[in-house]
Amino acid sequence: MQDFINEFTLNFIDDNRYRYIAEGFVNTLIISFFAVLVGIAIGFLVAIIRSNHDKTGHMKVADVICRIYLTVMRGTPTMLQLLIIYYVIFASVNVPKILVAVVAFGLNSGAYVAEIVRSGIMSVDEGQSEAGRSLGLNYRQTMQFIVLPQAFKNVLPALGNEFIVLLKETSISGYIGLTDLTHGGDIIRGITFSAFMPLIVVALIYLLLVTGLSWCVNKLERRLRVNER
Amino acid sequence: MSDKILLEVKDLKKDFGDHQVLRGISTKITQGEVVAIIGPSGCGKSTFLRSLNLLEVPTGGSVVFEGNEITAPGTDVDKVRQKIGMVFQQFNLFANLSIKDNITLAPVKLGLMSKEEAEKRAKELLERVGLPDKAESFPAMLSGGQKQRIAIARSLAMNPDVMLFDEPTSALDPEMVGEVLELMKELAADGMTMVVVTHEMGFAREVATRVIFIDEGVICEENTPQEFFANPKNQRLREFLSKVL
Ligand SMILES: Nc1ncnc2c1ncn2[C@@H]1O[C@H](COP(=O)(O)OP(=O)(O)OP(=O)(O)O)[C@@H](O)[C@H]1O
Ligand SMILES: [Mg+2]
Repeated sequence: MQDFINEFTLNFIDDNRYRYIAEGFVNTLIISFFAVLVGIAIGFLVAIIRSNHDKTGHMKVADVICRIYLTVMRGTPTMLQLLIIYYVIFASVNVPKILVAVVAFGLNSGAYVAEIVRSGIMSVDEGQSEAGRSLGLNYRQTMQFIVLPQAFKNVLPALGNEFIVLLKETSISGYIGLTDLTHGGDIIRGITFSAFMPLIVVALIYLLLVTGLSWCVNKLERRLRVNER
Repeated sequence: MSDKILLEVKDLKKDFGDHQVLRGISTKITQGEVVAIIGPSGCGKSTFLRSLNLLEVPTGGSVVFEGNEITAPGTDVDKVRQKIGMVFQQFNLFANLSIKDNITLAPVKLGLMSKEEAEKRAKELLERVGLPDKAESFPAMLSGGQKQRIAIARSLAMNPDVMLFDEPTSALDPEMVGEVLELMKELAADGMTMVVVTHEMGFAREVATRVIFIDEGVICEENTPQEFFANPKNQRLREFLSKVL
């Protein structure tokens, strides 16, 4: 017991080392939150363009751009994307690392969200949009009020899962020298040379975050499902 | 019945790839008419009906609605569809919306009514179709017959000039067919112009003012229901009737 207290004091209390964890925690939350927003925005846009193209044959150029984007994002390691965006694309401009991370993870997540949402749109019966169109609603209105709400509900579990993956994936932010939660724990390890305490604590925090997120998604899902009985 | 021609179809053609489904259909639909369309499965009845509100884009010929050629390029299709109601075999109620919202969505979003007006109208329409207590329900909670009556109410909320029905009772359990046909009969009696693809020969005989038989993408025979059923002239129609009657 005394050992445990000593270890704890060494890793978190001395020199206020808990601050690395606290800073990392906040950064991880910021990166994840904004990356999710970017991912959703890109994902929905790409999904709408792609499914519109599949259905009508319009927007050929946009569809090709989307497909290239999807191929690149899903075909290369996320860490490499982060490094390239930081060291190549933003090399000559001075932008905060945290913004770089939001852009990188947002772009990456957008590709997965896009395919999830597209499958959601395809899962909505064609009759739903035909009914909308036959009343005189235009394509956008039909999408907005009828198809997308149903698509969203259908893919909510998959989206929740994607956000959990994203949250955990931000743990590679340390590679561009950003203090995220993982990197924060690792800095402490580097100072105190004790691995167990900081790494396990960091792991527990992730576990808590993920559990909380799953809980929220479940709750939202149940809320949306009320209408079906 | 007035003599005002609501819909005029001229030499309508529709191909899907090299499959010619409609091979030149011409007919006129006058205000107040109830036109029943019958024919063997796959003969193009749905395709014809869906061409009238351009859910299918014809590959040839034209459709004139209230004097405007709606198949002409540059037509505001959405505007046209506001005046042409459609009722589907599979009901297609919006699964994510309550019954009230199903009915009010289009009139409100298209700026034709305020939310209050639309809700008042929805209430009237629900009375009209005999489901006044279902406003807050969701489609999944209703029986097939109820869904179809709501679908008709949703269509009526747009105050259409003509209504298209594509086998409105074919997906229903037998005991629910009656309630939907009854409602359609009332609509017809109120003077609604209707084009109804149906397998219900009873409905065609009793309610329709004209019956059209389509086979292999052309109109083989059209006549008043009395003549149509008593003295079918076309050979294929006779075969068809001997099978379904
Ligand atoms: N989108 C489409 N693409 C290709 N072929 C189609 C399409 N829609 C319909 N067809 C074909 O056109 C023909 C006519 O179809 P349609 O649905 O109009 O027939 P129908 O008379 O309504 O038949 P049913 O009584 O079974 O409803 C069928 O052979 C069908 O396979
Ligand atoms: Mg059909």
